[in-house]
Amino acid sequence: MFYAIAVFAPLLGSLIAGLLGRSIGDRAAQAVTILCMVLASICGVASFIDLVYNGVPAGVISLGTWVEAGSFHVSWALRYDTLSAVMVAMVTCVATLIHIYSVGYMSHDKSNPRFFSYLSLFSFAMLMLVTADNLLQLFFGWEGVGLMSYLLIGFWYHKPSACAAAMKAFIVNRVGDLGFAVGIALVFFVFGTITFGEIFEAIGAHQNDAYQVFGTSFRAYEVIGILLFIGAMGKSAQLGLHVWLPDAMEGPTPVSALIHAATMVTAGVFLMARMSPLLDYAPGALGFIAVVGGSTALFAATIGCVQNDIKRVIAYSTCSQLGYMFIAAGVGAYQASIFHLLTHAFFKALLFLAAGSVIHAMSDEQDIRKMGGIWKKIPITYTVFWIGSLALAGVYPFAGYFSKDAILEAAYAAHSASGTYGFICGLLAAFLTAFYSWRLIILTFHGAPRADHHTMEHVHESPWVMTGPLILLAIGAITTGIGFHEEILGEHWHAFWGESIRIASTNHVLHDMEELAPWVGLAPSVVGLAGIALAYLLYMGMPTVPAQLAQSFGVIYRLLLNKWYFDEIYAALLIRPITALARLLWQVGDATIIDGIPNGLASLTSSSSGQVVKVQTGSIAHYAFAMLIGVVVLVGVFLIFR
Amino acid sequence: MNTPMPGMGDTKMVIGLGHYLTVSAILLVLGIFGIFLNRKNVIVILMSIELILLAVNLNLVAFSAALADLAGQVMAMFVLTVAAAEAAIGLAIVVIYSRNRGSIEVEDVTMMKG
Amino acid sequence: MNWTLAIPEIVLSCCGMAILLYGVLSRGNAFFMSSMLSVGALLLTGVLVLSTDAGSGFFGLFITDAFSAYIKLTILVAAALSIVMALGYAEHANMQRFEFPVLILLCSVGMLVMASASSLMTLYMGIELMSLSIYVLAAFARDDLRSSEAGLKYFVLGALASGLLLYGISLVYGFAGSMSFDALGAALADPKKVSAGLVTGIVFIVAGLAFKISAVPFHMWTPDVYEGAPTPVTAFMGTAPKVAAMALLVRSLAGPFSDLLGQWQQLIILVSIASMLLGSLAAIGQSNIKRLMAYSSIGHMGYALIGLAAGTPAGIRGVLIYLVTYVFMNSGTFACIIAMRRRGRAVEGIADLGGLSKTDPGLALALAIFMFSMAGIPPFSGFWGKYFIFSAAVAQGMWPIAVIGVLTSVIGAYYYVRIIKVMYFDNAEPAFDARPASLSFVAAASCIFTTFFFLFPAPLVAAADAAARALLG
Repeated sequence: MFYAIAVFAPLLGSLIAGLLGRSIGDRAAQAVTILCMVLASICGVASFIDLVYNGVPAGVISLGTWVEAGSFHVSWALRYDTLSAVMVAMVTCVATLIHIYSVGYMSHDKSNPRFFSYLSLFSFAMLMLVTADNLLQLFFGWEGVGLMSYLLIGFWYHKPSACAAAMKAFIVNRVGDLGFAVGIALVFFVFGTITFGEIFEAIGAHQNDAYQVFGTSFRAYEVIGILLFIGAMGKSAQLGLHVWLPDAMEGPTPVSALIHAATMVTAGVFLMARMSPLLDYAPGALGFIAVVGGSTALFAATIGCVQNDIKRVIAYSTCSQLGYMFIAAGVGAYQASIFHLLTHAFFKALLFLAAGSVIHAMSDEQDIRKMGGIWKKIPITYTVFWIGSLALAGVYPFAGYFSKDAILEAAYAAHSASGTYGFICGLLAAFLTAFYSWRLIILTFHGAPRADHHTMEHVHESPWVMTGPLILLAIGAITTGIGFHEEILGEHWHAFWGESIRIASTNHVLHDMEELAPWVGLAPSVVGLAGIALAYLLYMGMPTVPAQLAQSFGVIYRLLLNKWYFDEIYAALLIRPITALARLLWQVGDATIIDGIPNGLASLTSSSSGQVVKVQTGSIAHYAFAMLIGVVVLVGVFLIFR
Repeated sequence: MNTPMPGMGDTKMVIGLGHYLTVSAILLVLGIFGIFLNRKNVIVILMSIELILLAVNLNLVAFSAALADLAGQVMAMFVLTVAAAEAAIGLAIVVIYSRNRGSIEVEDVTMMKG
Repeated sequence: MNWTLAIPEIVLSCCGMAILLYGVLSRGNAFFMSSMLSVGALLLTGVLVLSTDAGSGFFGLFITDAFSAYIKLTILVAAALSIVMALGYAEHANMQRFEFPVLILLCSVGMLVMASASSLMTLYMGIELMSLSIYVLAAFARDDLRSSEAGLKYFVLGALASGLLLYGISLVYGFAGSMSFDALGAALADPKKVSAGLVTGIVFIVAGLAFKISAVPFHMWTPDVYEGAPTPVTAFMGTAPKVAAMALLVRSLAGPFSDLLGQWQQLIILVSIASMLLGSLAAIGQSNIKRLMAYSSIGHMGYALIGLAAGTPAGIRGVLIYLVTYVFMNSGTFACIIAMRRRGRAVEGIADLGGLSKTDPGLALALAIFMFSMAGIPPFSGFWGKYFIFSAAVAQGMWPIAVIGVLTSVIGAYYYVRIIKVMYFDNAEPAFDARPASLSFVAAASCIFTTFFFLFPAPLVAAADAAARALLG
């Protein structure tokens, strides 16, 4: 019951704010959505505690039949197991804090009810996604969060860049969704059902199903695994389909924090964990996942080192951290990937909101080259930014230390080529992560002020509605790692996860993690500290050196600054040819041939319309006559066909 | 259709079911034609409708007698009642129409068309 | 004789009389109060319908089963929506007369009787009770020339149609020997008993019913009467009576005449194709939105008839689902049309909707959703109605008619989408007057049903399935 309230309260809040927003006013719309979110988070946490600590059995809460077409049977239902409950608790808590924060951040905006309605509706869609009991409902939530993300990125629809970013996010995600949809269809063909429980029961039975394509045989599980991962790549911004995420920063900062850091982008990771019983039998797909994850982690981290927009740096960092989660999923350590998802949700939301607080203080300036020297003026923001960065860099005892460590250990312990690749990439990325985090801190807060005098005068600490959530998230960023580490990854992980993560009997990765050489566990901390030290050295000690470096390594610098030219490559390889082809088809095919036929048909249709209407003379006599003719014709037809 | 009515026996002039049906068919056709051939007066249309209902009643009663089944006659009573109500409503509508339009010419009832 | 089966009808008639009495006796304007009482009476009747057992009463004249319950509930909802809509209209049009809701109640009694008819006699009584009320309703704005002309036209043609129907009844009665559906079904099981007279009778009955659902070629009254009648009356005529008449057509053709399926199927297919073609073609040139809705309703009835022509439980199920989705789309659209009012005067031109998205985005969105749904664009309910119909037809191998149906929906989409284009891309006309809450309510309720039907289609589909099985066994 609590569980259903946790899922549907945001929907209620969103509907009230969205439909009645204009008549009840800004304040009431905010109050309603926040109250609903608070209610949802209380219920979400309560149901999580009930399940994990009070021994309430896991199960499925049925909400009614959805589609019933032949053998295709789908119900609306909420899945109540640890994986879902953890996600529900996390999503509701973070969403609540971000709602509260938005009251302050969006206080100057005119369309407040719309914003809060979207935000709540997003939370609902995300909750639908994580509580889905079948793939179709998951897809519903998946598309729902995609749609809300589109609407929220383009929230300031008068900004052309925001509209373009929204379009980009939507289109790139469609590419991934195509893979996901085909994957769902394949699951249905293989298993005859798309309900999770039934799929997992039947895992053993279809292990050896295979497809023959061009004389090569592909195992069904591998194909499904890869297709589902393509869906996850789109949503979670993995290498190749990552291009939308940095641009998505055009949306308001709370949106970036909620959607593009804490919740939606982690949906792909969640999908991997949810489908873990199947993926465990698809080693090829897992290897692919780990390689893509590792590459993304390193690749995004390199870009993060040279970006100058405070939000874009954090966005690339998100991209990179998502890569870590996929490394973990790719070596079978799903628990570790969800653990990192949790800790990341807190510290990344914290970083984004703190960045929002900085932007707020700097009169909407986002370029770190025009900041600096403000740390004394905004002490709370400064402190929580440090906490978030420490967690991100993986420094003991902050949350990121435990989860990132676990992922790298798992990757090493997997003893596979893809695992080792993930480990090396992850280790390098950890160094870069620490480096760009402190580069960001130093450039933003320290040194001589580079903003103009007018802006500097207005620098002020944010109001309590913004700092309050920051402090709460900071507490989360400190405690979630140390608090849950033992339960989620320790020897008794089975007691925590229950049946929600079922791994194959051959998967020993969590066990192997415990028996590694000590240097593996220490390595991430060491490279992290080294990264911090380097950043201090370069930006605090010798502020002139970075510019010289950028000059002497101009090629590399420009490569990184332009994000490895991904956008340009896509533009040259895909967008321009497709646009040209489309224009060709439009001019030749559409305008002359295809339009020609319908236009001819249309004029035929409308002229026949004129003829038809002529019969309608308005005269009773004619109408009665038509009826009589009708009866006579029908009697004739009937008697002939008899 | 020329089967003699049961119970009538062999008399000189047999008025069978067929005769009744023919008369009623003629009445029906008269009524229908009255509706769409008449161009003058709406009242004539009301009368034509009564004619159609009359044809139906004749049919019903004839069949009822032929089948020795009372349902037809009961139906005829219903039809009579409904016809009375229908005539009342029809006349009322004609009255408000003539008040608005100032005429009850059938050919004037063509304001809306197309 | 088991009269308890007819309790909903009895209660509704008594309520109608009581409200009439209240209206006559009360001082001042009783319109609002009697409307509210009528909605209450309809709700009460709905509860009674749900609690009525299945069975046959009044010596086989009257039957209640899942089918009749389904149809009755749809009718009651449609009638209640119409009364609520009229609340918002009557304020302006000098129509605040308490007879209005009473007439709708009496009309509903007739329709409930139609839904439960199991004899030609009940069928006739139900139809007449319904029609007589609608004749009056069509001419309800008695100072308006167009309204009285609509009433006159509908009355004359309706009387002709019921004359044809009655003549058919008398022929079927005479040649099959009974009026009860059960006895007719038993008699027609023997192919030798099917005489030319009987066939003629059946065609006359079908013609009489086809007039009520305004199927081609008995549709001629529809555009004129839709245009002339007061808009809430048009909204009412477009929904509940169509449902009732369609139910009667389904019950009689799929019931007593089911053994003649091979023969009436041709008839229905012919009528259906003609209706779909005319409905989509004639609507294109219209500039009055009420006339356009008239042609649109002709087309929609054509689609519904495809399901009947299939003659299978799946087909009947499709018809039933289609009717419900149609009722909501239609009520919502008319709520939007009633809201079209400038400086106290109703406007009905499609061009008057120009730029509505800027002056009243809520109304524009609602109307756009209804238009998309009518055009059959997923995920709106109209798509699912068509989907169930077409899939039933295809399952019976009736490819050609399904293809024609899809083609005409494409033509139909043209004029539905044109309305959306006018609302969203044309230059803004002056804003409409503030719309009454009752209209917003109806539009919002219909909108929610139409938009979110796809989330929970299962209960409706299951109910329609049960109803279709009750009919065909």
